[in-house]
Amino acid sequence: MNVSYLELLKLAAPETIVVLTALAALVVDLTSTRDLEARFRFIINGMIACAGCVAAIVWMLVMPAHANALEGMFVVDPLTQVVKIALLGLTLFTVLISMDSTFTEHIGEYLALILLAAVGMMFLVSAEDILMIFISLELTSLSLYILAAFNKRDVNSAEAALKYFLFGGMAAAFTLFGLSLLYGLSGATNLGQIAAALEDKGLDPLLIVAMVMIVLGFGFKVAAVPFHLWAPDAYQGAPTPSAAFIASGSKVASFFIFAKVMMIGFTGGETNGVHEIAGSAAWQQFVSGWTPVVAVVAVLSMLLGNLVAIVQSSVKRLIAYSAIAHAGYMLIGVMAHSGEAVASLVYYAVTYGLTTIGAFGVVAVVEARSKDDQLASFAGLSRRAPVVSLCMMIFMLSLAGIPPLAGFFGKFYVFAAALKTGAPNLGLLWLVILAIAMSAVSFYYYLQVLKQIYVADMPAGAEELRVPVLGQVVLGLIAVGVILLGCAPNLLVGVLQASIKAAGL
Amino acid sequence: MVTDILFYVFAIATLVFGALVVANPFSRNPVTSAMFLVLTIISMAGLFVLLHAFFLAAVQVLVYAGAVMVLFLFVIMLLDLKEEEQRKIKKTGLVAGLVSVGAIVAIFIRSLLASEPSRGLGDPQLEGSTFALGKLLFTDYLLPFEIVSLLLLVAMVGVILLSKKDLK
Repeated sequence: MNVSYLELLKLAAPETIVVLTALAALVVDLTSTRDLEARFRFIINGMIACAGCVAAIVWMLVMPAHANALEGMFVVDPLTQVVKIALLGLTLFTVLISMDSTFTEHIGEYLALILLAAVGMMFLVSAEDILMIFISLELTSLSLYILAAFNKRDVNSAEAALKYFLFGGMAAAFTLFGLSLLYGLSGATNLGQIAAALEDKGLDPLLIVAMVMIVLGFGFKVAAVPFHLWAPDAYQGAPTPSAAFIASGSKVASFFIFAKVMMIGFTGGETNGVHEIAGSAAWQQFVSGWTPVVAVVAVLSMLLGNLVAIVQSSVKRLIAYSAIAHAGYMLIGVMAHSGEAVASLVYYAVTYGLTTIGAFGVVAVVEARSKDDQLASFAGLSRRAPVVSLCMMIFMLSLAGIPPLAGFFGKFYVFAAALKTGAPNLGLLWLVILAIAMSAVSFYYYLQVLKQIYVADMPAGAEELRVPVLGQVVLGLIAVGVILLGCAPNLLVGVLQASIKAAGL
Repeated sequence: MVTDILFYVFAIATLVFGALVVANPFSRNPVTSAMFLVLTIISMAGLFVLLHAFFLAAVQVLVYAGAVMVLFLFVIMLLDLKEEEQRKIKKTGLVAGLVSVGAIVAIFIRSLLASEPSRGLGDPQLEGSTFALGKLLFTDYLLPFEIVSLLLLVAMVGVILLSKKDLK
């Protein structure tokens, strides 16, 4: 097969730009900004990183592409481009909220690893080949493990990273085992070809084993019960901006590729037209195979995430358990397996990621001044830092799913898509009812945080929190984004639906 | 015929040595485990030879059985082994491990029995030469190849960062 390197470079230009930016951040920090004060180093290198992300976003906006390179290893279509732009946006905000932090002297490395993790996610989004899926998953995970361990002065950070790494290594082994079984059954690494090869073989036990193992691996990445054990410790121990990135970017990319692998027949059809119908038929027939597995995981995640979050006293752990619960809601979107469900899932994941980054940003602000993230440290925050408190209120209410905010519409679209898919027999209705009931439970702990901020008395002797202007502006921007996506969800959903249509799902 | 016999010899050797790496009834010394890991890797190299993947077999022996295992042994010898040797096996851990292994084995036996014997991929069309491998790496598998280089960069940055002592 002939490969045009130039063509490939053009297709992968956004990724290349981000890689070059990462290298630039490394080199600039090593050579020219080394002797400056840490704060300036963070600002200069952070600006380089942001410029790279913006350049990549602009490239994708200016040069929309639709191509399939190297037999599905790198697929660029409007849908993957939208998801990549969203990922870069999340990366941008992660970089911006970390600029105020003081946990490390290795600023160039920190930013470079964030960017390289983002590159891994971008390749992951574009992959329709199990080899590429695995390698980009590993690139992302490895960068995130190191990001979790970045605070070398804090033993909790090392513990968080070790737990994340050990669980992650095991999950990667399971994923690889599952993928190799899939390869053994079908003789192909391309998702579309796999679907076509499996079509006439029926649902045999080995395929179920492969599915279970793949679900297990992805379940770890999205922190769904029972593969969630790392999440609370990793979120709590890791430096706050790293935790924000683990909770947002990695989740968006993982859910997208999870949905893609599971709906293999629908997305894989794009590879070659012949496989399209055969492929989707094949996986329709397998839907009965993987839906129960995912349903069990979703139910457990929603129950355990919401119920355990109630008793948490550390805000980061609370967000971690709420993340587990949100993974449960999003799995309902995966189960709905339709083009519309993908749109709702991406909308949910992106708005959730944005909100979580904001929430972690507020935690970082409080943590920097009071040295811990206990609920008690938030007492009376509204009088000490009114702007930050207002932002936190918006994030918490959005996570809880209060109507004009983005979180509500995310849930609404996912549940609507699930009900529409199972319409004839209301197959997913019980899950949706459970999810709505559990979101009611989640109000309790989100409001608990707000109660501390707005109602509880200030601790004696507390003075006004000085929050840097940049930090306030960034948090404000994220909050405005959450409100805007909530009030005008069509901004994102419309684009997603159009691009899914264009991508031929 | 000969290759069939050799396949079973190497396959059984891989499995037996692999089991001895994690559960050796005679010795609890980590160095013994590491040595059995070397034997496992060499038996796997034998399987690669049977598949005509000579280059892969050579790399397997050189890199894994050679370089990587030397590092393993270094690390093992730097750690305190006495404690590990005297550590008692926990009963709950043992039972849980056996149950999960049993479950996986049962699933595999069941699925092997359920699947038709003729299935599988047929004769592999493997070309094990470095020429073919290099050509593939720079055409069909160019992108994964490049991403692996990024992966190594990340690993390198991470190792230097985490192993270096912060002076402040």
